[in-house]
Amino acid sequence: MSPMPAEDRETLERLLGETGAGDAKAFRTLYRLTSARLFGVCLRMLRDRSEAEEVLQETYATVWRRAASFDPTLAAPQTWLVTLARNKAIDRLRQRREATLDDASVLEGVVDERPGPSAEAEAQDGYRRLHDCLDALDPKHANSVREAFFSGATYMELAAGLQVPLGTMKSWIRRALIQLRSCLETG
Amino acid sequence: MMPLEPDDREVRYAEYVLGVLDARERAAVERESAERPAAAAAIAAWSQRLAPLAAEIAPVEPPERVWDAIRRRLRLDERTGVAPRTGLWENLRFWHWLGLGSAGLAATAAVVLLTLLLQRPTPPPIPYMAATIVQPDHRIGWTATMDIAQSRMIVIPGVPQRSSPGHAPELWLVPKAGRPIPVGMISDSAAVTIALSPSLVARLGPTATLAVSIEPVGGSPTGRPTGPVIGTGAIGAATAAASRPA
Repeated sequence: MSPMPAEDRETLERLLGETGAGDAKAFRTLYRLTSARLFGVCLRMLRDRSEAEEVLQETYATVWRRAASFDPTLAAPQTWLVTLARNKAIDRLRQRREATLDDASVLEGVVDERPGPSAEAEAQDGYRRLHDCLDALDPKHANSVREAFFSGATYMELAAGLQVPLGTMKSWIRRALIQLRSCLETG
Repeated sequence: MMPLEPDDREVRYAEYVLGVLDARERAAVERESAERPAAAAAIAAWSQRLAPLAAEIAPVEPPERVWDAIRRRLRLDERTGVAPRTGLWENLRFWHWLGLGSAGLAATAAVVLLTLLLQRPTPPPIPYMAATIVQPDHRIGWTATMDIAQSRMIVIPGVPQRSSPGHAPELWLVPKAGRPIPVGMISDSAAVTIALSPSLVARLGPTATLAVSIEPVGGSPTGRPTGPVIGTGAIGAATAAASRPA
């Protein structure tokens, strides 16, 4: 099953548009098609089921309220939804970490995980190109970018988790981001 | 530490999207994004570049209770099909309807503000400000509602004094100290939405006042009020009511 394949972009755009007009049925369908993808993202970042459920709920409440502001010329629906979910998860992580500062264990068990792309991911053009550009980077740099994206961790936490100096971590990621941009622009 | 080549700002936006900034740094970027369209566009471009990485995360079907909670929270069961929920701001007819009654207009506007606030999932720091522009006869000329995040203001006529032919009401922001700043031409018969420049948004606040003067159609030729001031109103933060919905 592919919850959010690229070819469904049009469907998702239509559903978001109808959701923006207050169509609860369209919203329900949108949720059915996209929630597994976003829940995966929330779970991966928060590493806590009940928190991931809460953040997913907040995410879709926001989707319902902001769908009218979704502009398909500015973002793909998948991007819009993933970004919304990640921002909510990151906010939650920052709140949580304010309470448990200095807790380097947040990355425990995370850093060595290397998830393989799913079949439907392979099929997505945006993913394919990003993947190729990441492959062209120094593996350490590419790995740092992936870990940052998947964990939502700060520079400080990443440096602690991957056991490199903070300055090194910043320089890896910054260099990777700049290289990624130019690779994606030329690709 | 490595110098930020080629462009500090661009890297900052990328770091924001990637999620490596701490809470304070994130808030700073979000403020910038709200104020500078170029920043918002750069952030959107980075989201578009990096979001496909989510495809590497295996989808996980959420438990049914999540949907139940969303349904209850948004009261979806009470809805039938399409309803004019979103776009309330855009719904000029709605605002116009508001503008038609003058008695209790301010109170009504407060209720509308509260409604708008409650529709927001997460109240932004200063979501809305409002001012009731009262005329010398104590009648409400206009109500102005400022949407800070969207940098715009909607001005709805109550029972404004009519302008003579060739003239129109112009809205001014009067800072605590300093000369009035032109905001835009308004109407005595229709709601008007005005886009606010960042510098204007920065000056909105409880120490500032809105004023309306009668000017030649097209606006004051001097950039300062030239005609009679027919109404003023203090700007109030509408955040006091911003209790979070369940």
